[in-house]
Amino acid sequence: MAAQSTEQKPQASDAKKERADKIDFKMVTFSLAGKEYGIDILSVKEIAKAGRFTYVPNAAPFVRGVYNLRGEIISVIDLRIFFHLPAERKADEALESLLILRVEEHVFGVIVDAIDKVVGISSQAIQPPHPIFGDINVKYIKGIVENGGKLYIILDVARIFAPEREEERKAEEAEAAEERAAPSRARAAERAPEPVAGEDVAATFVRETLGTFLGFRVSGLNEAWFEARYAEWKRERSGAEVQLRDASDAEAFLEGFSSPCSGRLWDEDYADAVAAALPDISAKNINVWNPGCGKGYETWSLACVLRRRYPDARVKIWANDSDLLAISMAPNMVFPENGVPEWIEGFMTKGRNGLGFSQAVKDSVFFEFHDVLNSSPLPPLDLVVTRDLLSFLAPAEQNRLLGDFAEKLKPSGALVLGANERPGGAWTALSSGAVTAYRKE
Amino acid sequence: MRVEYINPFVEAAFNVLREVLQSDVRRGELYLKSTSMPVMGVAAIVGLAGDVEGRVLFDMDKPTALKIASAMNAEELKTMDDLVKATITELANMITAQAVTKLHDLGFRFDLTPPAIFTGDNMEVSDADVEALIVPMETVHGKIEINVAIRERA
Repeated sequence: MAAQSTEQKPQASDAKKERADKIDFKMVTFSLAGKEYGIDILSVKEIAKAGRFTYVPNAAPFVRGVYNLRGEIISVIDLRIFFHLPAERKADEALESLLILRVEEHVFGVIVDAIDKVVGISSQAIQPPHPIFGDINVKYIKGIVENGGKLYIILDVARIFAPEREEERKAEEAEAAEERAAPSRARAAERAPEPVAGEDVAATFVRETLGTFLGFRVSGLNEAWFEARYAEWKRERSGAEVQLRDASDAEAFLEGFSSPCSGRLWDEDYADAVAAALPDISAKNINVWNPGCGKGYETWSLACVLRRRYPDARVKIWANDSDLLAISMAPNMVFPENGVPEWIEGFMTKGRNGLGFSQAVKDSVFFEFHDVLNSSPLPPLDLVVTRDLLSFLAPAEQNRLLGDFAEKLKPSGALVLGANERPGGAWTALSSGAVTAYRKE
Repeated sequence: MRVEYINPFVEAAFNVLREVLQSDVRRGELYLKSTSMPVMGVAAIVGLAGDVEGRVLFDMDKPTALKIASAMNAEELKTMDDLVKATITELANMITAQAVTKLHDLGFRFDLTPPAIFTGDNMEVSDADVEALIVPMETVHGKIEINVAIRERA
């Protein structure tokens, strides 16, 4: 709204006046590393100058210690370190500027560079945060507001200090890693010099180039694999150029990422491993979602596995892919005789052109030309099988889809990802075999 | 949208357009869309029901609609009158009906609702919940976009 009114020149002054008239949001402003920030005054209990914090062993690096505020012990957090901004370390006796915040029941002390003043604005004037704005993760930013010629970034205190802070911080770190991997962000280059624990700059570039050449995104989902592979890659390339110069380098790097039996019908060993990983399901109807099914080998193999694993149930598989050429051949796949793994032959019938799947198997599978990034209307699901799809989506989409899976799965439902993908904290592993199924917590 | 449904619609659109216009028709690249989209000016819509639910929308701009209607009626039509509207509606009906017939032969049961036509400027269709398959068709008279949104009845 504010952006619009400044564009319309003649009304700008009116709009501004009107805005100034309605002060309904007050914030305490302060600076961190030379930039101006604000926090809603309702969450600020008081401001103080304090020092000599009591060090707490084993606390996160951004926790400076605890402080006795008139008999109440509060923990003190250095916001600059929390946001990876440069923090000058004062002498022990020196006093730091402290904002005492109250978030729900908890009281925190927050160290900032300098506390400025209280500024009243109209909440209408707050603009949504822009992803490239500032050095702070967008999800901690409530908005941006201009006042007196200065731009203030309003922090969302509840998001930063909510009880699940620890997890959020982890998520933030994972996201920061993803941001480094996202090639389109100019910021990535700026951030690169930041010290990243245990990782050199070349790794950052490898992450980026994987995204550029093959659309592969390193994120919390596949971080473990990436790190192991990167170490191996460095050994393989000892002396030579570690970075990926073209798509074929990137493909060589990703070799070994894809799950077993990708792009062909599953071997019996792998099929058994999948069957072993799946939970017992007593329901009569089993609904399965298989996004990113590609040419359909995975879906057909899965259909056969499920018929063996749950012989009494009616299985329905929705298989999607957004590659029309790949999926358009999937419904009517025909194989040469002797060209299929033996265990699958039992599910096939001989046709004019070769072996095709039997009608019963065919009836259990729906192939859909569908983009998972669009909404997917599906009934409650018992299983989601999506191997090596999420790693090729932007990190934000990965999280959104994982959320979508959690929402669509029944409480007893299970999720199967690619061999080198891990769904993260909200999911528990059901088994520890060659294939792992996960259940939402 | 099920893969089996795609071809019947593409084929029906291609055949019907080529037949009624007596000229070459080219099919553009198919793609999926889920956000709201602007309508070019004339939109004929046919609803589908049965094993599935959904709709097919035929979208073109006014000059294209007039030229197509002129070609189909073998007379020069200059204004967006009832005849033009009826002609475009009929075209939508013919294409959808042929697609549904093909689908019926494949064992899928669809019913049609009577077509309706919308004309006007700056129109937009939104149904964020259903993803639509866009089939662009290039005719000598201009572009027609066929927008098919069908989903299985859950």
